[in-house]
Amino acid sequence: MSITIDRRTFLAGTATAALTAAWGGPALAQQGPRDKITVRIDRDLANLDPAYRTGPWDANVCRVVYQRLMKQKVNSAELELDAAEKIDQLSPTEIGFTLKPGLMFTDGYGEMTAEDVKFSFERMGLPPKEGQKESPYKADWGGLKAVEVTGKYTGKIVLEKPRANIFTTVIGDVSGCIVSKAAVEKLGADYATKPVGTGPYRLTAIERQRGATLTRNPAYKGPAPALQEIAIRFISDPRTTDLALRSGEIDFAILAPAVAEPLKSVAGLTVSEQPSIAYVWLGMNVEKGPLADLKVRQAIRLGLDVDQMLAAGYNGKAPRLNTLLPPQIFGHWKEAPVYKRNVAEAKKLLAEAGVSGLKLKLTILNQPAYQNMALVARALLAEIGVTIEVDAQEGGTYWNAGNGDSGKNLDLFLLRFNGKHDPNFIMQWFVSGQTGTWNWQRWQNKDYDALFAAAAVELDPAKRGEMVVKAQQLMDQSAAFVWLTNEVNVLVHRSWLKPAGVPGWLDWQYDSWGLGA
Amino acid sequence: MTRLFKDERLGYVASRLLTTVLIVFGAMVLLFALTALVPGDPAKSLLGPQASPELAKRFIAEMGLDQPLHVRLWRFFGAVLTGNLGVDVISGKPVVQLVASVLPYTVILTFSAIGLSVLIGVPLGIHAATHRGSASDTILAFVSVAFIAVPSFVIAIFLLLIFAIWLDWLPVLGTSRSGEFLDEARRMILPTLALAAGWIGFIARLVRSSMLEVLGEPYIRTARAYGLSERLITYKYALKNACIPTIAILGLGIGRLLGGAVLVEIVFARPGLGRLVYEAVSERNFPVVQGAVLVVVVLFVVVNLIVDLSYSAIDPRIRRSSGQGAGA
Repeated sequence: MSITIDRRTFLAGTATAALTAAWGGPALAQQGPRDKITVRIDRDLANLDPAYRTGPWDANVCRVVYQRLMKQKVNSAELELDAAEKIDQLSPTEIGFTLKPGLMFTDGYGEMTAEDVKFSFERMGLPPKEGQKESPYKADWGGLKAVEVTGKYTGKIVLEKPRANIFTTVIGDVSGCIVSKAAVEKLGADYATKPVGTGPYRLTAIERQRGATLTRNPAYKGPAPALQEIAIRFISDPRTTDLALRSGEIDFAILAPAVAEPLKSVAGLTVSEQPSIAYVWLGMNVEKGPLADLKVRQAIRLGLDVDQMLAAGYNGKAPRLNTLLPPQIFGHWKEAPVYKRNVAEAKKLLAEAGVSGLKLKLTILNQPAYQNMALVARALLAEIGVTIEVDAQEGGTYWNAGNGDSGKNLDLFLLRFNGKHDPNFIMQWFVSGQTGTWNWQRWQNKDYDALFAAAAVELDPAKRGEMVVKAQQLMDQSAAFVWLTNEVNVLVHRSWLKPAGVPGWLDWQYDSWGLGA
Repeated sequence: MTRLFKDERLGYVASRLLTTVLIVFGAMVLLFALTALVPGDPAKSLLGPQASPELAKRFIAEMGLDQPLHVRLWRFFGAVLTGNLGVDVISGKPVVQLVASVLPYTVILTFSAIGLSVLIGVPLGIHAATHRGSASDTILAFVSVAFIAVPSFVIAIFLLLIFAIWLDWLPVLGTSRSGEFLDEARRMILPTLALAAGWIGFIARLVRSSMLEVLGEPYIRTARAYGLSERLITYKYALKNACIPTIAILGLGIGRLLGGAVLVEIVFARPGLGRLVYEAVSERNFPVVQGAVLVVVVLFVVVNLIVDLSYSAIDPRIRRSSGQGAGA
């Protein structure tokens, strides 16, 4: 048998072979453990300078590109030493530190010294120098007087007054990241996308709307991370994320319960639920018409059925919240009342208040979970004689709804804030001074303000805990808040990937992610 | 005579250029007015709860939003003339840099989608016109209208389900991790198809109706009477005249896709100008909105200017009628 290959056959064969080789196809789904992974984030990376970061998505990159004096232990909110060899509370307003020697900044910016620590903290906490921009996170370092350098590796953080949360929310968090003074001064605005740190990863690529690539930093002095490379992809659409998980193009994502549910049946994927520290509630404007009457607010609270609302909003997967602080947060009020729906009592309270035919607007963000909960609330409140008009707004408009004078027009609203592992951080939005800014309830209570201020400087945990619980009791008495949930994060990932994060899963610990079987 | 022709052509180009400048100016005035009217405080949207009132005030000043509208507009155009589209308040980077980073994605996707639409839509339209009333004409009519009616993002989702999940032939994400050319090309297929589908139907219908109109013209009957082949009549004499409305629509199509492919960009997680504007609007990041929209508007009018000039070159009647209109 003879085979004749003419020019046309040869060209066609070569082209087919080349196409087949190039095609490849997404075979990642079938692969086993890899030390190069892709994770999904739902917001674009914008600024990787810790002083100007735009949110948790930026912060999670900062956590591994930079080192802090202290950082959270793996899968814990507890702190351990990171760049610091030693850290001491010298007095209620003074914290001494000693850096580990030999921590080298990437890109040839030399060794980390106490001068870098001083520069990093003061540029955020002190008024900006001429020509510099103020950090939006200045409040994190509120009360910072100075950072005194006492040696190449030693220094002292001096505060104006004691701060109970200085370690958990500042020194051990992203506002405590230590940048290279030389690099910031040299790179200027470019530092936002060319971060220089001493952490376990370095940023090797970043592109707007695509994401970034983190590569293991060979100069890092701590234990080498298990993953060589982490590609961070910005995918805003949850359905695309679902498909990319199925096709094997991404290895990790956090999704809403309803979106994640069908992925439970996909081979090779693990779906796990982690309680969040973001908190959601239905708020009432205590200055607005009939809502100024405590009985009306109590009636609305009794007219709602939180469990029904959560079933609609989160497929019943989200835990119910009964007070401001979620259970993972220090100062959580365990004995907070769990209100059950009581239509008769609600109607009675409305009658006592002399209110009938009440019409209210419920302002929400135009996202499915809130829309579903709002529809349930409307149906439930109709039964007690309150007519609800649901006003679903897009983000830009919604987040300004409580601002200034326009906030006076709000009736009811569904709101969600991100938390941190500190009660004062979470409590701060409800003080009188936040009225017209983030205190959309416009609830002003001097006792609450005083408890908040006292808890901020109280270094005795027992006393601080008592203050925080009392503050939550005052919120409960106001009936301006119907606590709904501290949400749930549904982690979807390859079964061989072992992700790590601080409880609440707002803060990811890429450097501690591991590979399983 | 040649001089008259040249003057006529120059006059036409000059009038179109003037119109282009006016359109850009008008669009930017409208945009500035809208940014002043749209609800939402940009400082609060961008900075979040961390921002102190003092910082928010400074931030507003940095964006120039504390100035009256006419001052902002004046400053913006002054800066644009020096090639400065402003600074992104989030990253501190020039807006030009941001736009330049996503523009290639948009241009490639737009031109590949429109190119594919023409490659498939025009032959389909010709086939339907030359086989009027046949079964294939009926089927093409049905399929074309279906493609036009279904939004591109719905087609995108179906394409993903079929080709990326069920068949596992193509990837879900519209850009690669490696940036390799072949991988990028493979990832272009589904977004291109999703965007092109509607335009294929549209062009096919348009070419069909134009062809039918032209094929009924006396000069076509004359050509037939002279015994010219049907192929020559269709492709040389009929198609040239029938393609003028299609070229006009293509100009609009390119312009629309340059800034309007946002949903397809979101579904395929692909960078692009539309997505940049969409996100900037959501965040009330006005410098980026203004800079990116200006680029979209300029591209839109430039493409349409080229299209106008090209079909005036194909059909001198358009040039003449425009010249008469201007003089009248």
